[in-house]
Amino acid sequence: MIVCVAVVGHQNNPLYIQSFTKGDDSLLRISILNVEGCSYHSLKRHHIVHCSLDVVDERVNNPKKSGLIINETFLGLLNPTENYKVYGYLTNTKVKFILVTTDLEVRDVDARVFFGRFHTAYVDAVSNPFHIPGKKITSRKFAERVSTIVKSFGLSSGG
Amino acid sequence: MADPANTKLGRMLLDQISPAVMVLRTPFVEDSCRRNNLSLIEMLSPYSTFNNIDVPVRTASDQPYRLRKFKFRLFYNSDIRQRSTEAAKERLKQVITHAGDKEISDLCSRQAGIESVITTSAQDLVPSWFQNFNKELINAAAFSEHEGFDHPVACLVAVSSKDKDPVGKFVDLFNTTQLPHLLNDGSMDPKILKYYLLVHDNQEGIQEKATGILAEMRSTFGASDCRLLCINSSVDGTEEHQQNSWASHENSASNEKQFGCFLNKDDIEELRNTMHDFSSKHIIPLMELKIRVLNQQVSATRKGFRNQIKNLWWRKGKDDVPENPSAPMYTFNSTESQIRVLGDYAFMLRDYELALSNYRLISTDYKLDKAWKHYAGVQEMMGLAYFMLDQSRKDAEYCMENAFTTYAKIGSSCGRNVTRCGIWWAEMLKARDQYKDAAGVYFRISGEEPLNSAVMLEQAAYCFLMSTPAMLRKYGFHLVLSGDLYEKCDQIKHAVRTYRGALSVFKDTAWSHIRDHVHFHIGKWYAILGMFDEGIKHVLEVLPCGHQDKLTQELFLSEFFQIIQETGKTFEVLTLQLPVINFPSIKVVFEDHRTYVSPAAANVEESLWQALEEDMTPSIAGLKSNWLELQSKVLPKKYKESNVCIAGEAIKVEVSFRNPLQIPISVSNVSLICKHSTESDKSDPASNGSLDEDKNDTGLRTVSVIGETSTDASLFDLSEVNISMQGGETVLIQLTVTPKVEGTLKLVGVRWKLSGSVIGICNFQSDIVRKKVAKGKRKPKKSLKDNLEFLVIKSLPRLEGTIHSLPRTVYTGDLRCLTMELRNPSKTPVKNLKMKISHPRFLDIADQEVVNLEFPTYLKKQAISSRSCTIFDAPKTAKTVFMFPENIASSWQTPVKWPLWFRAAASGSISLYITIYYETEDVSSIIKYRTLRMHYNVEVLPSLEVSYRVSPSPSGLHEFLVRMDATNRTSSQNFQVHQLSCVGDQWELALLQPIGPNLSLGFLMAGQSLSCFFRLKNCKTRGSTEDKMSSLAKGIADVRLVGSESSGLFDTSVSPFDLFHHQERLHQERHDKGDGNTVDFILIAEAQDDSDAEPPRTTAEILSHYTCHCRVGSSSPVWWSMEGPRSASHDFSSGFCEINLNMTVYNSLEDAVSVRINTLDSLPRSNSITKTASVSGYEYGWHDISHLTDAKVTPDSMGGRVGKALSPESVSSFIWSGSCSTRINLEPLSSAEVPLQISVFCEGTFDLSNYSLQWNLRAGDGGDDGNESRVRSGSCHGRPYHITVLQKEQS
Repeated sequence: MIVCVAVVGHQNNPLYIQSFTKGDDSLLRISILNVEGCSYHSLKRHHIVHCSLDVVDERVNNPKKSGLIINETFLGLLNPTENYKVYGYLTNTKVKFILVTTDLEVRDVDARVFFGRFHTAYVDAVSNPFHIPGKKITSRKFAERVSTIVKSFGLSSGG
Repeated sequence: MADPANTKLGRMLLDQISPAVMVLRTPFVEDSCRRNNLSLIEMLSPYSTFNNIDVPVRTASDQPYRLRKFKFRLFYNSDIRQRSTEAAKERLKQVITHAGDKEISDLCSRQAGIESVITTSAQDLVPSWFQNFNKELINAAAFSEHEGFDHPVACLVAVSSKDKDPVGKFVDLFNTTQLPHLLNDGSMDPKILKYYLLVHDNQEGIQEKATGILAEMRSTFGASDCRLLCINSSVDGTEEHQQNSWASHENSASNEKQFGCFLNKDDIEELRNTMHDFSSKHIIPLMELKIRVLNQQVSATRKGFRNQIKNLWWRKGKDDVPENPSAPMYTFNSTESQIRVLGDYAFMLRDYELALSNYRLISTDYKLDKAWKHYAGVQEMMGLAYFMLDQSRKDAEYCMENAFTTYAKIGSSCGRNVTRCGIWWAEMLKARDQYKDAAGVYFRISGEEPLNSAVMLEQAAYCFLMSTPAMLRKYGFHLVLSGDLYEKCDQIKHAVRTYRGALSVFKDTAWSHIRDHVHFHIGKWYAILGMFDEGIKHVLEVLPCGHQDKLTQELFLSEFFQIIQETGKTFEVLTLQLPVINFPSIKVVFEDHRTYVSPAAANVEESLWQALEEDMTPSIAGLKSNWLELQSKVLPKKYKESNVCIAGEAIKVEVSFRNPLQIPISVSNVSLICKHSTESDKSDPASNGSLDEDKNDTGLRTVSVIGETSTDASLFDLSEVNISMQGGETVLIQLTVTPKVEGTLKLVGVRWKLSGSVIGICNFQSDIVRKKVAKGKRKPKKSLKDNLEFLVIKSLPRLEGTIHSLPRTVYTGDLRCLTMELRNPSKTPVKNLKMKISHPRFLDIADQEVVNLEFPTYLKKQAISSRSCTIFDAPKTAKTVFMFPENIASSWQTPVKWPLWFRAAASGSISLYITIYYETEDVSSIIKYRTLRMHYNVEVLPSLEVSYRVSPSPSGLHEFLVRMDATNRTSSQNFQVHQLSCVGDQWELALLQPIGPNLSLGFLMAGQSLSCFFRLKNCKTRGSTEDKMSSLAKGIADVRLVGSESSGLFDTSVSPFDLFHHQERLHQERHDKGDGNTVDFILIAEAQDDSDAEPPRTTAEILSHYTCHCRVGSSSPVWWSMEGPRSASHDFSSGFCEINLNMTVYNSLEDAVSVRINTLDSLPRSNSITKTASVSGYEYGWHDISHLTDAKVTPDSMGGRVGKALSPESVSSFIWSGSCSTRINLEPLSSAEVPLQISVFCEGTFDLSNYSLQWNLRAGDGGDDGNESRVRSGSCHGRPYHITVLQKEQS
């Protein structure tokens, strides 16, 4: 199950973060971020996505070391932890897509398909003439589309 | 890589994995040591570490090597056991709490930026107490039965000389006291080396007794194993030690105590010698010996192929034996234990090769036995041995990981081992610069225990920071995790510390949720610690959190107010972001010599006003020189640059507040902060200041709420505004300050009170980057400071003015009379009033007496006589500034009213600017004149669209046909076209067809259009050529278009019609034509109100439409008309008939021309003289095509002659008689008559169009002045003129 997807701008600023869990606390092994109020869950996913940017940076800066093929947008598994997995994707404009999932077995193909669709949706969203580049994506249509893509995650290839 | 022994892990291992010595002592020994505030172990331990012992060691191999560094650890017998979980926890907590207390002082220090964090070395950054903490964690895992290095290698028995029967005590101590279970349960060999130490306190008695006892001891226990230690030789107990060996113990004891105060130099020397002797002569040789013995045993039983096979076989059999979990698996004399001990001893004596080989040997055995704890322990040691040998990193890591996972698998009983192993592993990775992996290990160590986890996560965070490249986000995240755990364990100080570290990462990030979380918690925790100032500072950061949801915003806000409440003080906060001030929209409006009627006028760009006032005010240069001159006398130079304002007149500042939250907030007491200094107290400008600038940079200060403003009240008045803002609302607040006294006024900032508890202050000058000040000095580059400083001068008269009933929306052409009212509230008179209007087309000044007349009826014709011939000199007034007569300014008891004409000249949004200049009579003042600026916006809607077309009438020489097209462009308004007038005396206008008395011609519904034809006659031309026509014979230039006689015609020659006519003429000026044959029309219409519901208007709305420069004239500059009889009767029997005709030729050009009239008896052909260009050049407008066609179809006379007869039967029945070519010269704008004659041969109707006129400019008439485009010549064909000749009846 996909827990969270995020779009991060080329200056590592959050453009879009959407979580797909309701009150699921098992995201982090250490369930300590017991912040009061509603920002509790959002804070967690913010932290996870934010942290994974470090790994993205690392991969991008040392493509050889991390076994990344040059010009490959799919960054692969970023944060292999026990309870969730983080996948990354980097567009040509250095916009990063982050996928956080609790599925223990995720095939790379599925992740690639997901990011491919997500990328298309993103491109459509930012092609809106009223969208200001570098600002948060507020398009409702984009959100709907993303949730459709998230729902179909893993289904496409028979998984 | 550096020598493994010199790395941190190497030093740790040297420290931790060293021989242990059990210490037994009598209470008297302890008492003697207590004199120095030290226990026996504490006293001895500094001397149990040797940095350069230089002992030759020979282990299993024959090759001896020298041991340089050596250390052994001393433990009381009671301590040689594993600590209980609670005790261990308690110790750890102590360490952390202690560290937290120590660091509290740092918490107030300034936050370093992340850049500096990266550059600081690891030693500076990582808290030093981590080492202690890790050591405690490792110590907690000590004395496990599965490891050999914690097993005591020797026993130090200390008895005081005071004890009775010391020799007996030595024996008793070992036998009676509770020995550690390690020795009892068989984990280790109970036969242990004993070393007998007789402690003699020199304070207690003389040494002789002790030496006696020593001799006795030697005889009992053997000479080498006994030693006398004399301590406390110092008499007064005030020994100071240069290098305090016990400094490290200060942690556990209070600082006031002086350690070792009774120990003099000799004592210390003896201590050192004793321990040296103990280690080099006893411990090390013993260990060597044991290694050799064990090695031999192991070799005999396990080495060699046969032994290995045997071992394997034996192992397999052993599997069947059910294990007894309660008893130790391996006793000290089992082979496994021996190998392990051998390995440990070798490790401790730095023979890592030997240690490794033995560990390897035993490792497989333990694995086969499924003795996981032992296996893990051996793996751990193997990893360390690999590390110390600096071999095969992979193996070292593999072993450590193996050990770690194995320990972890066993479960909670091995929790401490997990921790220890992890710490060693992480240290190993750190030593090899694999910080990222080390962080992962630390993360894995952090388990259930929150406090441990907190420290481990924090260490992990530092590892991320130190990895290359630094992983700052992970650093921040782990610090946040760690901080939360600290907070759970009530270690608030640590929590704050970690969060502060995290803040350096998240400070300027766009990840506002994270940043807010960090700020908020730091603030909250500071408040818990009682550091409210810091707390408020951090909570302030999260207040403008528009991106958070409503609940969070409420939480933040309530927490903030709670902190404020807890302090019990009223704070002034410089950085209060609630509400947010939109700086670019701050506007300062003040009035110096420029005064404004309305805010709208103040918003108008200064350059517009300046352009308008340009020729009215004294020139800037002149003003400046005067001004400076005056300044040098009156004022110090300092104020020369500042703005000037007048006492008693308010300075308005518009500040826009925005509520970033979704929840409503209430803001009260919004006012400006100003500083006023009068001339007298200039030496101390801060004395009256309401904001002491010295305190500003602290950002936060406590104030007493009352008493602050009292001193300022006499100097200036401040307005206070209370607002309550809804979520997301932006409110524009106008604040005013009215200085009362002359001096200098400075706008410092704005102050407000949030929810009645916190005072927010915003300083205009500090940290405002962009700020727009609407009105400033003329210098384009001006600093903000100048704009906020005002020179207050004494009060001056200030005129107030309004224009009454200026409509907001009007139709185009609307003509009104408005009244402007000027007041002077002050007693001081003003003089030299002038006024200028930006759009004289729309607004113009009227005569003062107009006020008393009724508009618009007095404009009707019948009123002419009363006003006689006072012709208003319109052009002059419109061009220049209007000077009010001097006498109006004399008395200001009543407001001055002055009429203005308003006419909506063109549709669209029109901004009208009116400025009134006046001078004060006070010469001494800096400001000599002031201007009153008014600004109005008028929306002009389209009404009637009128166009005219004038074409020369074929019937008369100076007559024209005028077609007027009027279209009603409005959607609902009806208009009654009242009259059409043309301007000027020389025109006579009449309807082509007169209308009946009751027929209303010009009523136009919305959207309707109307076309009318008029006949226009130019009387003047005729008059000038014929006779001087008297002025009485003036043409009637007005045509009534309404049937009813009740409404008279308007007189368009008087103001305001002529006034606006002049403006329109200027406006509609055409540049391309120079000829003066133009006519201007004025159409006057009345708006009709068809809705009866409305109350009837008091004044009828009059609309006037001006159309100027309608060109009058034909395609040729030469006009002519043929005059003569149209019919004649003649008796052709008596010969042909001669008819005389008269042609009048008029030259409408400004130049003299010569005209040649050619009469043709044949068809006119295109003349080669005429250039085609010139023909086309004159063919704009209505060019007459009919000439040619007429000429063609006309049965032209003489057509047959040229052989081009159109029809053979057409016979020319008339000929031109007289000269066939006549040339005349025409002066400019003059006419001449040319007699013509035809001879007719038979009766019929004839077309006399077979003539042509050729004209050309006379040479030498200045035609060569370079005006190339001008046409110099041309030709015109004759117009049809029909004449009918009848046979005269014979009578």
